[in-house]
Amino acid sequence: MINYKRFTLENGLRVLIHEDKSTPLIAMNILYDVGSRDEDPGMTGLAHLFEHLMFGGSLNVPDYDTPLQLVGGENNAFTNNDITNYYLTIPSVNIETGFWLESDRMLELDFSQKNLDTQRNVVIEEFKQRYLNQPYGDAILKLRPLAYKVHPYRWPTIGMDMDHIKNTDIEHVRSFFFSHYAPNNAILALTGNIGYDLALKLSQKWFGPIEERAIQSRKLPAEPEQTQERVLTIEQDVPSTALYKVWHIGPRKSKDFYTLDLITDLLAGGESGRLHTKLVRDKKLFSEINAYLTADIDPGLIIFQGKLMKGVDIQHANDSVNEVIKGLQNESEIKDEMEKVKNKFESSTVFSNTSILNKAANLSFFELLGNPGLINNEVEAYRNVSYEMVIEALRKYFIPSNCSTINYISTRKEK
Amino acid sequence: MMNNLQRIQPPVYPVEQVVIPEAKSFRLNNSVPVYMIESGTEDIMRLEFTFRAGQVKEYLPLLASTCNMMLSEGSQNYSSEELNKSLDFYGVFLNQSAEKDSAGIVLFFLNKHIEKVLELSREILFRPVFPEPELNSLMKKRLRWYMVNREKVQNLAIDQFFESLFGKNHPYGYQILEKDFENITPSLLTDFHSKYYTPENMAVIISGKIHNKTAEFLNSYLGNIGSKEINNEASVNFIKGDKLKKVHINKTGTVQTAIRIGSATINKQHPDYLGLKVLNSILGGYFGSRLMKNIREEKGYTYGISSSISSLDLAGYKVISTEVGRQNCQKTIDEIYREIMLLQNVPVKEEEMAVIRNYMSGEMLRMFDGPFALAESFKSTWEFGLDNNYYYRLAEKIRTIEPDEIIELTKTYYNIDDLYEITVGSE
Repeated sequence: MINYKRFTLENGLRVLIHEDKSTPLIAMNILYDVGSRDEDPGMTGLAHLFEHLMFGGSLNVPDYDTPLQLVGGENNAFTNNDITNYYLTIPSVNIETGFWLESDRMLELDFSQKNLDTQRNVVIEEFKQRYLNQPYGDAILKLRPLAYKVHPYRWPTIGMDMDHIKNTDIEHVRSFFFSHYAPNNAILALTGNIGYDLALKLSQKWFGPIEERAIQSRKLPAEPEQTQERVLTIEQDVPSTALYKVWHIGPRKSKDFYTLDLITDLLAGGESGRLHTKLVRDKKLFSEINAYLTADIDPGLIIFQGKLMKGVDIQHANDSVNEVIKGLQNESEIKDEMEKVKNKFESSTVFSNTSILNKAANLSFFELLGNPGLINNEVEAYRNVSYEMVIEALRKYFIPSNCSTINYISTRKEK
Repeated sequence: MMNNLQRIQPPVYPVEQVVIPEAKSFRLNNSVPVYMIESGTEDIMRLEFTFRAGQVKEYLPLLASTCNMMLSEGSQNYSSEELNKSLDFYGVFLNQSAEKDSAGIVLFFLNKHIEKVLELSREILFRPVFPEPELNSLMKKRLRWYMVNREKVQNLAIDQFFESLFGKNHPYGYQILEKDFENITPSLLTDFHSKYYTPENMAVIISGKIHNKTAEFLNSYLGNIGSKEINNEASVNFIKGDKLKKVHINKTGTVQTAIRIGSATINKQHPDYLGLKVLNSILGGYFGSRLMKNIREEKGYTYGISSSISSLDLAGYKVISTEVGRQNCQKTIDEIYREIMLLQNVPVKEEEMAVIRNYMSGEMLRMFDGPFALAESFKSTWEFGLDNNYYYRLAEKIRTIEPDEIIELTKTYYNIDDLYEITVGSE
């Protein structure tokens, strides 16, 4: 059981605290309710580029990292479709430096041209490293626009075109900041060696004076229901042919979420997952297989990916994946497996919550979903999934008209 | 509202080194040493079985890693499928790994399942049967993984780096070839297993919530595993670095070049290692390091650049790693050498020393925070015959090292003519 307390400052900043005296450290997590879904289609990648700029100095602090390192702190950040999340760990004696740094960059960034020029290059190198210089690295870039035609999830967080990054100027950056970065658009979570009173006092002192801002309202186009199966074939010089499949699912808060999470665990959780047992071990069609759900706030995806063994026909591989999914409807086989994945979910939740950083990130995200109590209730929600719910979800989501497939064909000749 | 707030850095307090919990040690009935570290608030456990069964012991490439991976592919009493199902059913996370010197397994689980975990561990570690069909299937899969990995410039670069440093004939150094995947047989695995997965070669490291009965359970499941009394001849392999210091591997169609620069060096047992740790941090060991500031934050040549120093039984090694846009490769290499030369000649200023001292002191708190971190920190000194004094000495070195010592260490250990320079990318 993770105990937490919660308060909201007058300017709208929400603060959650979980005290754990067994550690000499404090984790501080600040979630901003802005992600790549909030970008203009002509200026994609800005939310992520912005995350890089947040380390380039703020109104009263020329350099974010050095003062933090000077007090023994360590930090990082990530951006995804929905959120931009900044986190640090710091020896508890020096927690006030964390408040000073995080509040200053919420107050106002130092919009430096030099910093923008450098970080544009860094992001372009990141793009090359992750997507261009890796075999299969571009598959995910092609999957999104295949699955989404309208919703901003159709582009990746790093941006759909590096020209968007190259063309960003300081005015874009400034207006992005003032329309998304604000106390009333952020959630602060503190976990570890800090009590409620100190957290309240420091939050009021450092974040309290920052004024509420007008946040750009979110009017995202809903993705229309997919009515036909989509297939894209790509030929590339890679060592093995690969198969990618995605199915649309509901939003993170839909009642089917835990059912679908459980289904992906039945299929691909651990060495004993169905896909692995049947298609990697028994039939030897794939060398590796994975499936997961995206857990996006708006309607997301279940993503399947697998690399084929040499000489396996891709159509046969594809049919076999569908067959394994269909096989989940067989009740007599599945009861034990449901118990197994429920146990595994419970233990992985316990392990995840041994880290103060994970606890802080989870509390922030669940608060954004409107229910911080999920940090303690998720295991129960997952345990409550019944066989009937699995069947219903299989029939609803795993149908051809809801599926997009990429056949990623290796053109390499092998002796 | 307090609009008169002075937005300046609050007082900076020194980061005090915490007292590191000592491991309690005892021996099982068959003399296997056990180290128990009590830590954490949850009723969970991290259980590690470590053996001196790493690559350095292998007489054929892939033998150590394959033996380790095949441990869970079937035992006297369980098929691979039954083992995997059972581990998953009890919510156990099993990591198998074979490093350069050691190999073993680590299990993470809820304490209530400890007896089942011990029973399965005994099967995995001491009763594997290395079935041929599973072996064939594993080697075919591994060949596919290998072929994908060999497409990545960073893998080609680090493989070549180790070969240049330690030699084509040493298990620390040789690169895996496609044909190596055909040479492993069940009888080779059985032989390797019976020589190196033995009580004499083994230790147990437990961390988390320790219960009254933990020791008793361990003894009842593992205390009667007998020795096979095989005498292993000492290894006669010598490390021999290549004369050629610069190697470029052409990989067409790549948009970034991987760079690895470094050399073999001392390991943890050497007194200079502590100072070298500090030097490494200044050079490229954290986000505020010289290399990161220069190559990423100033020039934007890369998404990341780092340097690290590692200890092996026979030697240590240090390596600077980055991937940069092709057109910036030579400029990056020049800057790396320039940064090293600066450290050889110009004393680090007190402001930077203060940052590094405090940053590293904070790192030391993170190294002992929680049961998982504690076990890893324990193992990484214990393996070298060291104890927590190593960490207290490191903390002391971090507090007291002077700029002159940094200069001396850089001159001694980062002689530019001694460094290997590996690049992989398109020309």
